[in-house]
Amino acid sequence: MNRTALTAVLAALAVALAALATPLQAQQSFGTTIFFDYVFFLSDNGPLTSNDLNNQFSFRRAYFTYENRWGDLRFRFRYDADNTANVTSVNFAKSSTSTDGKLRPYMKHLYMQYDNLLPNSSIKVGMADTLTFKPAEDRWGFRSVAKTLMDNFRDVTGVSISATSADLGASLTGTMTKYFKYGVMVTNGIHYTSVEKDKYKQIMFQGTVVPLAGFSLVGYMDYEKLSQDEEAKTTKLDANFEMVKNLTVVFEWFAYDNDKSKLADGTHFDMQGWSLFGRYIVKPGKLTLFGRYDQYEPNTKVGDDKVGLVIAGFEWQPTDKAALKIQPNVWYYTYENPDKKNDVVAVMTFFWSF
Amino acid sequence: MNMKRVLIIGLLSGLLVAAAGSLFAQRAKMIQVKGSDTMVNLVQIMAEEYMDKNPGAMLAVLGGGSGTGISGLINQTCDLANSSREWKQSEIAQAWEKGVKPRIFVIAVDGLSVIVNAKNPVEKLTLAQLGAIYRGEVKNWKAVGGPDKKVSLYGRQSNSGTYVFMQEFVLGNRNYSTDMKEMNGNAQIIEGVIADEGSIGYVGVGYLYDEEGRIRKGLKIVPVAKDDKSPAFMPTDKAAVDSGDYPVARPLYQATNGKPGAAVAAFIRYEMSPEGQKVVEREGFFAISPKHIAENEKNLR
Repeated sequence: MNRTALTAVLAALAVALAALATPLQAQQSFGTTIFFDYVFFLSDNGPLTSNDLNNQFSFRRAYFTYENRWGDLRFRFRYDADNTANVTSVNFAKSSTSTDGKLRPYMKHLYMQYDNLLPNSSIKVGMADTLTFKPAEDRWGFRSVAKTLMDNFRDVTGVSISATSADLGASLTGTMTKYFKYGVMVTNGIHYTSVEKDKYKQIMFQGTVVPLAGFSLVGYMDYEKLSQDEEAKTTKLDANFEMVKNLTVVFEWFAYDNDKSKLADGTHFDMQGWSLFGRYIVKPGKLTLFGRYDQYEPNTKVGDDKVGLVIAGFEWQPTDKAALKIQPNVWYYTYENPDKKNDVVAVMTFFWSF
Repeated sequence: MNMKRVLIIGLLSGLLVAAAGSLFAQRAKMIQVKGSDTMVNLVQIMAEEYMDKNPGAMLAVLGGGSGTGISGLINQTCDLANSSREWKQSEIAQAWEKGVKPRIFVIAVDGLSVIVNAKNPVEKLTLAQLGAIYRGEVKNWKAVGGPDKKVSLYGRQSNSGTYVFMQEFVLGNRNYSTDMKEMNGNAQIIEGVIADEGSIGYVGVGYLYDEEGRIRKGLKIVPVAKDDKSPAFMPTDKAAVDSGDYPVARPLYQATNGKPGAAVAAFIRYEMSPEGQKVVEREGFFAISPKHIAENEKNLR
């Protein structure tokens, strides 16, 4: 498996490099996207809202993207900064680290894309977006407000799924007919902020069936061997309803099975969840309403641990002249555990790109 | 509820009211048309004449390239997508996935014109020679009956329908030469060709003329033949374009999402009408055939 994956990566890389062998006339573009929040707690006794970090501006992301295109060949570089401070020193004696309090920049995308090597297909080689979140993120459309289900609960549950929006590897995606799309990707499986630590690779498969115009089903699976005896698998299904003009409704379900997920007594547990979200474009380029309900279970072997989340809000673009968007939204967390009170948070998200 | 919470909720409500208010400021429905740069002038003029004759009708016509128009229709940000090429399979699939069922109309025919600098003595080109020039296989005009001068290639950017049409139809789906200068629009290609003696370019026939209806100064249109044995024809020869003797001709398309609504259908009917087709010819394109009209009528129902 590993040899096949490596051969595929090298072959795709060779094709892309061969196309670069001569100087070409290129189309270049630069773009920047920024979003940040003003956060205000509407309740003050839940696990999230009982801390002191109320009434604050919170930086979320800044992307700088450079793209270069020569016919069917593209190159993309995206630099990303989030609100994690840089680690500047490590104190091994105290097992602690120091940070500089500044925003952490890192490389998110650095890949070459070659279109139509196979009919209606794209090959990407390098640090590229994975197949894991994209169909749901594209339809949710408000990454600036919240990540999608699988990627959104680490802060609340303290456990996270090993899944990423970008990784180093190679992917092939394409369209066979209007009824079927496919995707396959091989990556290090270690994500975009780390270097590879083992010999094992992650493989992802995605198939989209569109039986009716505006109704599609996206099936996704990934697999990675973690060690000689351990492996991790994700299964995900999205049902997308886009039959009514300007209305998108999506149901998403996932299950994550990692052999390393064990209770103190050695019992293996899974994670799973489902999400129902939608958006309605009241006026294109002006006003969009959005809403979502997630239910997330961080441990299938423990009772009373489910988390429910309602997000509701709207996006207002005050002017056509610039891509400035204001996205007021409210988050309402509920906990199955009766000892935990609900959290209610009001957020004003500011988004712009240029 | 404390004062701060009341303020936050008040602010959110105020924003929603402001956003909703801005929506209803413009009540009349504006038909949004977007896409092909080859078609933008033509459709803009037809829209202006249509609005003059139909008070209350409102159309906004934008360019950006065929790909931009098609993605606009798929994302439902426009009502009519102009394209100077056929839809790709991947675009049809993307539209289907998003619940958009494109209906395609032909509103004009374009004889894509091959142009060189007026000082270039080359008399004609075959389709095969043209393909070889744009693939970079012919690098000197001498090889195709011209002067001993390096060929300088001008073409469109890859989001242009004209770029795609040439690639499929003339280059045999192979890549353009890496030396080709990819220009933003037809006007930039014309400027480049006028300024460069070794140049060759391709533009929509409607862009060949100046304001007085004459071929622009400094340009020369090259007749094109299907092959060595066939006679060469000019893109300005309507009979040759209609009969298919001129080999680099293409329909110009508009697409709607499903059966067009009454306002959009009325505009398409105007474009197809003798009046609309007169504008097509006046702007240097060719009128559509009865076969196209019958197909369009079917798609309007």
